[in-house]
Amino acid sequence: MNDSKRLIVAVDGSENSWRAVEYVARILAGLPDVWVCVLSVERLPSRDRFATEEAWETACRIHRERVQEFMERCRRHLEQAGLAAETMIVPACHGPETEATACSLGTSIARDIIAFQEQGQFGTVVVGRRGVSRAEEFLFGSVTTKVTHLARNCAVWVVQ
Amino acid sequence: MLAHQLVAQYYPDFPRRRVGRIVTDTTDFMGIGYGDVMALGGRHYLVLRDEKERSFGLEDPKYWVKRCLELETGESKIVKLVFYEEFPVTLGELTIQCFRSPRKEARILQLVAGDRRFMQGRCTLDAAGNEVRILDILRGELLANTVHRLAMDHRTYCFSKLPEVLTQFGHACQAIAFLHQHGENHGDIRRDHLWIENETANLVWIDFDYTYEFHENPFGLDIFGLGNLLLYLCGKGFVTHLAMAEDLFSGNRDVVLEAGDFSALFRHRLCNLRKVYPYLPKELNDTLMHFAASSEVFYFHVAEFLEDVERGIAALRQGDWS
Repeated sequence: MNDSKRLIVAVDGSENSWRAVEYVARILAGLPDVWVCVLSVERLPSRDRFATEEAWETACRIHRERVQEFMERCRRHLEQAGLAAETMIVPACHGPETEATACSLGTSIARDIIAFQEQGQFGTVVVGRRGVSRAEEFLFGSVTTKVTHLARNCAVWVVQ
Repeated sequence: MLAHQLVAQYYPDFPRRRVGRIVTDTTDFMGIGYGDVMALGGRHYLVLRDEKERSFGLEDPKYWVKRCLELETGESKIVKLVFYEEFPVTLGELTIQCFRSPRKEARILQLVAGDRRFMQGRCTLDAAGNEVRILDILRGELLANTVHRLAMDHRTYCFSKLPEVLTQFGHACQAIAFLHQHGENHGDIRRDHLWIENETANLVWIDFDYTYEFHENPFGLDIFGLGNLLLYLCGKGFVTHLAMAEDLFSGNRDVVLEAGDFSALFRHRLCNLRKVYPYLPKELNDTLMHFAASSEVFYFHVAEFLEDVERGIAALRQGDWS
């Protein structure tokens, strides 16, 4: 079992993921030796949606700015609770100007989260839950469900 | 060469006074109409009309899709001009965001060139760099309509026709699996998009320009579409309360149907067909039940789905033992 005080909070900019951040801040406030990594696996809009390269790049830039803003908000909130926190974005491999070697192919965010957890030997993964219907889970898939299935050597907190 | 000279050379019967202009930039597709000639990829396309989408007795013109005559060959073609849009699609109780992407369709046309399980065509750039798709006309009939029109009761259909129908359907599923293996989705699997080609009797998929963004289960919507089609084929139409009230309904009406027996998305479509058609093999019914509201397990790959369909076909071929 990895160090459970090394946590990943996986976020996507949604209200559900903000609730996960708030929960961690509330539960762990002031605890020593806790290290929280706010992780976002980038989900850029598909190039197929846009007629021109410029329109796509603009949409990606706006998306990235929003995510970065959200991540900063998460980090500040955790630090205000007396926790050591950092932010990390796994960039999309197919995004404009992606140069990172470690990147997300966009085929499974859950797998990307778990790969990051294994590599960094995090002991706890925290994810929000959308509360989707069965039909939605079938059509869209569920990051939360898949994370709970894939996780080994770590605890998974699912925040509703 | 002027437009009327071109048309006169290849299609002398076309009325000269109706000949329009030669178009090289198709960006303003609303302004391209009957009699105009589009110069694309070294050939000329005389526009005959805008295509229409027909549903529920209504016709919705698709101004970016032109029925044309390729002047140099005399062949009819469908020319799809570039139109990007984003719109919500309602699937039963769910609404999802879909995108129309000419770029995606052009890529798939290239991928499936020569593969007769898919509509055929080529992609070319117009003078303004628009990716225009020039499609061969598919002559045939919708699989769903053919099945629905068969003049026989369900039981007869089930054992005399359904095994072959599902065998053909299995080939069509393999075609979708081929797309998925190449990281592509069809995007709009429904009854109107699977045809039986007259010439070859092959099942052929059409229209690949819809797409959507599901990151965790990228092919979920396609698989759900296949499930819906299977339901239609097994039931010789969708079995709903309304269909069961019709005189022609040959199934068992004296049954108790529960919410879990119906489709997870389309709550009026019965998935548990064995309740009304008890001779339908359990293997096939079990496959259908993966798409029901009561299902706990879903398919994530076409291969899993197909494996179960094949088991169902084998059971059907054993004949009616009920």
